[in-house]
Amino acid sequence: MDWLTIIYFIMFFFGIYFLFIFLIIYSKYRKQLYDYPTPSRFPFVSFLIPAYNEEDSIENAINAILKVSYPQNKKEVIVINDGSKDNTRKIVEWLMRKNHQIRLINKENSGKADSLNQGIKKARGELIAVTDADSYPSRDALKKMIGYFEDENVGAVTSRVLVKNKKNFLEKFQGIDYAVIAWGRKILDYVNSVYVTNGPLSLYRGKLLRQFGFDPKNVTEDIEVTWHILSEGYKTRMSYSAEVYTSTPTKLKKWINQRVRWNLGGLQTIYKYRRFVFRTNNLFGYFVVPYVSLAFFLALVGFFLFSRFLLKKIYFYALSVPLIFRGYNIFRYVSFNFGLTFLLVLGMIFFSLALIYYKLALKDYENKKIINILIYALIYRPLYILPLLISIYKLFRGDIRWYTK
Amino acid sequence: MVYKIMKGNTFIFFEALLITLVLLSVGFSIGLYFESFRTSKVIQGYKNFEVEALDLKLQNYYFQTLNKGNCMVALEENINFADRLYDEGLIIQKYEDINQITEELLLEKKRYVLLKTELWLNSIILKERCKEPFHTVIYLYSNTPGQAKEAEQEAISNVLKDIKEKKGNQVILIPIAGDMELRAIDLQMKIYNITYLPSILIDEKYVLEGFHNTEEIEKYLK
Repeated sequence: MDWLTIIYFIMFFFGIYFLFIFLIIYSKYRKQLYDYPTPSRFPFVSFLIPAYNEEDSIENAINAILKVSYPQNKKEVIVINDGSKDNTRKIVEWLMRKNHQIRLINKENSGKADSLNQGIKKARGELIAVTDADSYPSRDALKKMIGYFEDENVGAVTSRVLVKNKKNFLEKFQGIDYAVIAWGRKILDYVNSVYVTNGPLSLYRGKLLRQFGFDPKNVTEDIEVTWHILSEGYKTRMSYSAEVYTSTPTKLKKWINQRVRWNLGGLQTIYKYRRFVFRTNNLFGYFVVPYVSLAFFLALVGFFLFSRFLLKKIYFYALSVPLIFRGYNIFRYVSFNFGLTFLLVLGMIFFSLALIYYKLALKDYENKKIINILIYALIYRPLYILPLLISIYKLFRGDIRWYTK
Repeated sequence: MVYKIMKGNTFIFFEALLITLVLLSVGFSIGLYFESFRTSKVIQGYKNFEVEALDLKLQNYYFQTLNKGNCMVALEENINFADRLYDEGLIIQKYEDINQITEELLLEKKRYVLLKTELWLNSIILKERCKEPFHTVIYLYSNTPGQAKEAEQEAISNVLKDIKEKKGNQVILIPIAGDMELRAIDLQMKIYNITYLPSILIDEKYVLEGFHNTEEIEKYLK
């Protein structure tokens, strides 16, 4: 066995192992996916909405939060205007005149994490909900999340993000992607390993945020804060029934920018919490950090192996190009040598499990035709590598900033 | 400590590990089975060819010593045998490229090379005896080429394959690895003054070094 075969073998081992973790958890808890604890009390909740040039969506976002079913005297909405240059401030001030639950903090532009930290200082809530200015929680979302906090060890609860816009190819497959991500996150909920409390709607125990807040140096403050909570020994949970709708990038360039930020933030977070590997008293150090780190690493290794295979093939045919001028018709002989090897068997097992994973994840999703799952698995998912490579390049250049706006 | 963390729901991690290991073992075994199957097919194929080669050799002796029988029969047998040996050579190469666990089929390849050399000599004898207008095309290639040479060899191999398909029984095509440290091959290469691999030796007269296109080779096969 040569070194390349051993690397492929290790990759398949981890790929299949991780898929089985998800599938076994699902098989045990499949009937409880939508369950959530009924709250016995309704603590005060402060909604924080950081906003930077959000004139197109801020009004609807605030209205969606105001409509969230919860005792009216138990919630407040704090908009943190992060130095917007558009009409965001005016729109919020206009809404404030109609509803006294809304408060506005105006500040110089300093980024989302810092804006949230400013909001935390003013928030009165026992619980603090963070929402994006282009996201719209469903009416009953909060009630389906609150009950988890009756467990004193729960530090944060996140929701299920669904895509609002699903018109073009990219939006449609982001819809599938978000559904798959949400399902995976819910599965990890059963082993207390929810490692992202998403930006569109997540609920935090106020005392924790007041203690350490969001890290302004990290471009994915939602991942970082979750890891912080987990590293402190608290649990993070997910309510699969609590839905929030969000707007996703409509163009490839914006999609790449968004994903570059996610990757950069992920890598920053891994680096920050690397010392926790195998050094915590919960699964954070034993599963979350190694799993996320390996996911990044294996994606890169997989890409390099595939590129190596492709480049070798291209180089081989390129070497034959001079022979074309001597009467050799290269195009007649392009071929791939396939045979049933053990790596191919492992590859087929891995791919079949991945398809089962996607099929289960999309069981309750509107767009679950097998053709869409195949396109998702074979075209959309491989695109993940593009922003990952860009983010690694940017990381080496020290170019770490918010790329979306 | 680890046990305390893993207990309860998280025992799932061990379950998944166990299933993964079982599945990987199954996958490994299936792959190994197919690879072994291919290897044993090559070995079995060689044994059959060995018998056929001996048979062919005896036929030759028979024609030579007793000067009886139809020379054409021996010639046809020789061509058929060469064709089968050629096809088997392609299969061995393919198997060797895709096998990942089992050892390289080096010994089998050496045996095939010797068989092919024997066939070549047989063809020379038959050509002289039968006075039939068929051509021997010996393709001497490197068994351990670099990338550039491998591309060149593949091109030559493809061109020769086309010529063989086109010319049928008029051509006996015998590809032989020239750098397998076999004295019989080294001697033949010395006799025909072949110093570069890949080279094509046509009718024991013309040596074409490196790549030549179909038309260039066909000029020697009139």
